[in-house]
Amino acid sequence: MQSSIQLFSITIKEFFSYRLNFVLWRLRMVLGTLVTVFLWMAVFDGKSRFGYYSREQMLSYILFSSLITTLVSSTRTSELAAQIQDGSIMNLLLKPISVFSYYAALDVGDKCMNIFFGIIEFVGIVLLFHVPLVAPQAILLCLFFLACGFIGFWTPDVWAPRFLFTMIVFFVSGTYFPLDLLPEPIYRVLLLTPFPYLFFLPARILVGGAQAPYLIQQMICALFWTGGTYFAARLIWKKGITEFSFWGK
Amino acid sequence: MKRNFTLFFLFAKNALATTSQGRTGIVLLLLGKIIRFIFLFFLLFFIFQRTQFLKGYSFSQAALFYLVFNLIDTLSQVLFREVYRFRYLVTTGGLDMVLLKPYHPFLRILLGGVDLLDLILIVPYLILTVIAAHSIATTPVQIFIFILLFLNAIWIATSFHIIVLALGILTTEVDHTILIYRDMTSLGRFPMDIYKEPIKSFFTFIIPVAVMMSYPVQALVGKLSLPFTGLAFVLSSSICFGALKLWSVALEKYQSWGG
Repeated sequence: MQSSIQLFSITIKEFFSYRLNFVLWRLRMVLGTLVTVFLWMAVFDGKSRFGYYSREQMLSYILFSSLITTLVSSTRTSELAAQIQDGSIMNLLLKPISVFSYYAALDVGDKCMNIFFGIIEFVGIVLLFHVPLVAPQAILLCLFFLACGFIGFWTPDVWAPRFLFTMIVFFVSGTYFPLDLLPEPIYRVLLLTPFPYLFFLPARILVGGAQAPYLIQQMICALFWTGGTYFAARLIWKKGITEFSFWGK
Repeated sequence: MKRNFTLFFLFAKNALATTSQGRTGIVLLLLGKIIRFIFLFFLLFFIFQRTQFLKGYSFSQAALFYLVFNLIDTLSQVLFREVYRFRYLVTTGGLDMVLLKPYHPFLRILLGGVDLLDLILIVPYLILTVIAAHSIATTPVQIFIFILLFLNAIWIATSFHIIVLALGILTTEVDHTILIYRDMTSLGRFPMDIYKEPIKSFFTFIIPVAVMMSYPVQALVGKLSLPFTGLAFVLSSSICFGALKLWSVALEKYQSWGG
């Protein structure tokens, strides 16, 4: 536990050492959110509803979803692939802490920093562009799905598959629009995949509360994917580490 | 000039040989780019299923904005991919070797890494753009202005990449600078009219994303006045001048970081 706290503290200090780097990263995130917010503002120009969503609900969904994306997708595991390739993973394997615990501690630090600045940006966008919001609802339920999303996203990977994975995740997890606006059969199929549990359901619950008929199914699916992806990641890691041989620089 | 072209093709050939080494990576990255293109196109289609106009633009016009954005963005990535690898050259001191060579450094650090992946994507983007443009009523003069403004956009993209190189020397932060450039230009994925003030003016007059990505299509659909067409060339010339000036300053400040 002591080592995890130390790693968490080092991660926070690292952000303050590379301040410009972090500021530029956050600026990129803000620009991404602005594109989607303005796109939907333009859609609602002279229009009061889009599907089941009012202007307030849609803009709230986009902003809550962006905040949740910040929390769920901020991770340090992306550096793991480079460490495997250049051989520096050896240093990590020799440490008296498991790789999973090591990255869990780094990720907590990373997420704390990102969500702190994410909230400031969220407030800034709302005040600066007068974005109407609905009050967040069912926060506890949202937190349940959010906790599932943390683990689901936590998979060590390399750049090319990660790029492909990120592209798919960002679209089918509802970053650009609420997934329940899709035709019912597609929406139902998507609910069977892990993606809606990352960003869509937490944001949807905050905007419109829980959808009672599907709630039990959604909670079971979320738990299944949380457990499934976590054990899959551990299994793949275990298999990879037994086959690993040092071939870096 | 002939010597520069020979060197450019030599660097391009080497870059293609390097890229083609990781075949699985090529397939996955290409797939990722295609999926991103399709999904964003679907987003537009999805929006226009429930609304007729987006800030006065029809679906085919909005689709044209998206396609021309992809064309300009992809073409600048094909040409200037080497800029993404510039930080490594600076931090390892490899830039010294480039500066000592008897050719202009831009040949190596700006144009020296033609991107095979994006080269493949240019063709379908071009075909789709022609198809989308065909469905819009336009005149030969508008097409001519569109081509001029398209070339002007590539010129602005070149200037932006030179600025990124200069900032790479001055701050060694090139990774984020180039990605911020990408994020800023991605605002032009949709018509710039969707943005509110002061964002719209900022990305038209200070950082001319609108001039790069929106003006060519606005000219093609007849929604760009003559003064704004002239302004596009004034802005691009000013940025090019500023970029070259900044590059000179960066070279003067450069003191071999590597070791």
